[in-house]
Amino acid sequence: MKNLFRIARWEFITRFRSRSFLFNTFISPLLFTAVITLPILFFSYTPEVSTKLVGVIDLSGKDLAKDLQKRLNRKYRLENSSREYVILKVSVNNSQPYKEVLAEYRDAVHYRDSVTMVYNRIKEQRTEYYKNTHIPNREYFLKTSYETLQTSREEKELAEIELEGYKTALDSMYKFEAQKTADSLLASDVLNTYLLFPDDFTSRGILEYHSKNPGDLRETERFEKILQSIIIEKRILEDNVGRPKVKKWLSPIKIQKYQLFPDGQTEWNFYAQFYGPLIGVFLLFMAVFTSGGYLFSSVLLEKSNRVIEVLLSYASSRQLMGGKILGLGFLGLVQVLTWLTVAALLAVSNIIPVSKINYMNFTNALYFLIYFSLGYLFYGAIFITIGSISSNEYDAQQINQMLRTIAIFPVLLSLVVLAEPNADWIRVLSWIPFLTPSFMIMRIPLSGIPITGDIYLTIIIMLVSIVLVILIAGRMFRAATLMQGKRPAFSEIMHWIRVK
Amino acid sequence: MGKNVLSVKGVYKNFFGKPAVENLSFNVQGGETFGLLGPNGAGKTTAMRMIMNIIVPDEGEILLNDEPRKSLKTNRFGYLPEERGLYPGAIVLEMLTYFGTLNNLSRRKAEVEAIRYLDRLGMVEYTDSRINQLSKGMQQKIQFIAAFLHDPDVLILDEPFTGLDPINQIVLREMLQEYKQKKRILIISTHQMEQAENICDHICLINQSRVILNGRLSAIKKKNRENAYVVESDSSLEFMNSFPEINILEAGNTSYKFTLKDDKMAVSGLLKKIESQADIKKLEVVEPSLHDIFIKKIQEQSKDKE
Repeated sequence: MKNLFRIARWEFITRFRSRSFLFNTFISPLLFTAVITLPILFFSYTPEVSTKLVGVIDLSGKDLAKDLQKRLNRKYRLENSSREYVILKVSVNNSQPYKEVLAEYRDAVHYRDSVTMVYNRIKEQRTEYYKNTHIPNREYFLKTSYETLQTSREEKELAEIELEGYKTALDSMYKFEAQKTADSLLASDVLNTYLLFPDDFTSRGILEYHSKNPGDLRETERFEKILQSIIIEKRILEDNVGRPKVKKWLSPIKIQKYQLFPDGQTEWNFYAQFYGPLIGVFLLFMAVFTSGGYLFSSVLLEKSNRVIEVLLSYASSRQLMGGKILGLGFLGLVQVLTWLTVAALLAVSNIIPVSKINYMNFTNALYFLIYFSLGYLFYGAIFITIGSISSNEYDAQQINQMLRTIAIFPVLLSLVVLAEPNADWIRVLSWIPFLTPSFMIMRIPLSGIPITGDIYLTIIIMLVSIVLVILIAGRMFRAATLMQGKRPAFSEIMHWIRVK
Repeated sequence: MGKNVLSVKGVYKNFFGKPAVENLSFNVQGGETFGLLGPNGAGKTTAMRMIMNIIVPDEGEILLNDEPRKSLKTNRFGYLPEERGLYPGAIVLEMLTYFGTLNNLSRRKAEVEAIRYLDRLGMVEYTDSRINQLSKGMQQKIQFIAAFLHDPDVLILDEPFTGLDPINQIVLREMLQEYKQKKRILIISTHQMEQAENICDHICLINQSRVILNGRLSAIKKKNRENAYVVESDSSLEFMNSFPEINILEAGNTSYKFTLKDDKMAVSGLLKKIESQADIKKLEVVEPSLHDIFIKKIQEQSKDKE
């Protein structure tokens, strides 16, 4: 019995001092947490580093730029409280071709104006003659001026048609030139993006978003939301509804989620509720497979370098196996307790808002310890068996990899577990000893109702499985570790299991 | 302490229906060096593992001073397996202390003994080195220390001399000599017949799972003596060709190796005959080498099987 503790002590100390233990205890959980939380931070919380210039080409004539700027100012501010977006109306006044078309357009306007003036004057004169019957040669004048009126009207109509043509040309020239300017500003990174509102924007509601990176979903979503409300507001205002009323109608909504627990309701936060248990599963997995992995490599190492022969001559195989399980299990407990202590410290110093995350409590910490121990013993015994029957490290590592994949599989289902932690098929899956610890660690915090029944049931299932695998491991360990060079046949393995 | 005797009595061990050891019996007396010899795969390692209680015999028993092996504490046994195994990353002193404590030494005692042995083997400056920083020979010395450290009553060494330089071979031999003087049991297994011939007092030859030769080395040699003699002289010994009572084995110019045709004949008469014609410089009774006996016996056994 003393030897069991001596072996346990040796296994514990040599691993405890190793760099890999330090890495698995501190660095990898940190890395994992960083890897899963950083994208969230990037996606929703990163403050913008500098103000973005957004160009606007507005052909709709509704002066959308002003409204857009106002709302962007209200919603998005940089950390130093300056504006995140500045709207810039793209100007084409300096473009030569536009100037020429504009000059022609203006000439056409002048021409139409003068023609109209002539026409109006004739019309006025004729009206006067109509009213005043005493004017001499009235009859004659009315007769002759009629022809002039007809001609000038014709001229006027022609001028208007011409002007319309110039206006269309001018508009398309404006769009073309504005877009040319905006493109060059975009290319030289003066503008981050530009928006083009076509003349029928208010009715059709389609606008163009030009950018070097149109995949920036977050930004397009922002513009979409704001412009949506702007255009709705404009449409409603056109129907002569009062401005205060429109504001009231358009005030935005926000969903607040609450989760029902037996002792009351708690506000639900996706990140805390989802990523917390996910990190929990990861830590459990890390702990089980750090110690289990050490158990595995310890057996494999002693078998491959034949220390096992010396050890078995000084200690019984039971002491050896028991000592390893005990020592490395204790190592795992140290690891888990380190994490729990860190979590407690973070909670006490209010870095983690424990009051808002209701699964962070002592009962669940205890469950974590229980499922760690069960998972460790279960996988540990399997590792010992594999370590002792493997003829080389390569084979063994492959089986090891496969076991890891099985154990981490529940994480792939984490979103489903989040939605329905107590669905029948998830309950059934969590009764499979290979998956039990991972599933239960997710289900316990996610389930709104207590699953004490399932907890007891899974603990019993685990205990029975552990007894079974340890019995097999014990028999294999002694017989198989002395063999070397060849992989045992299945019949031999069965023989070892049966024969004492 | 009384006289130590280790007895192996009628031991059988099968692995998957194949016999590894059949009806193995021998006694090892304290104070003698017992050589367990045999070709590869003969069953030596199995025999040693059974003595170390690493594996249990299917039949038969192993006794130390009439006490069954199973009821004995492991710390009375020391073992150097053929395949050397140490923890590559471990620190020399820590690992030796660990092995010592596994054999019921206190930590302090184990440390002191380990340093004492390290010093004796000229390795005290490597006390805090890691095993994988040591050369192969040094690692082997560390393994000796691991086997010796707890001062066992039974010491089993599998191929102890391979990989050691001549100086260290001498140191090891001295250590074994001291150990022998304490009337303890020492079992050495080796392929190297010269080695065995030099250090063993008693040998047991195993081939194909069975004992084919067992006894004190001197008795075995005597029994297998060919009655061969070598005479050397300064002058030519060609005249011996005409002697009717001898078979000439090797004929040199001045040196003849021969056997007597009649075992019972006294050598002295023959010597007088030679002396009358030439001066005898040297006369030697040729002892068969263990190597020759080993090969002869194994060949005999294979013939018997056919």
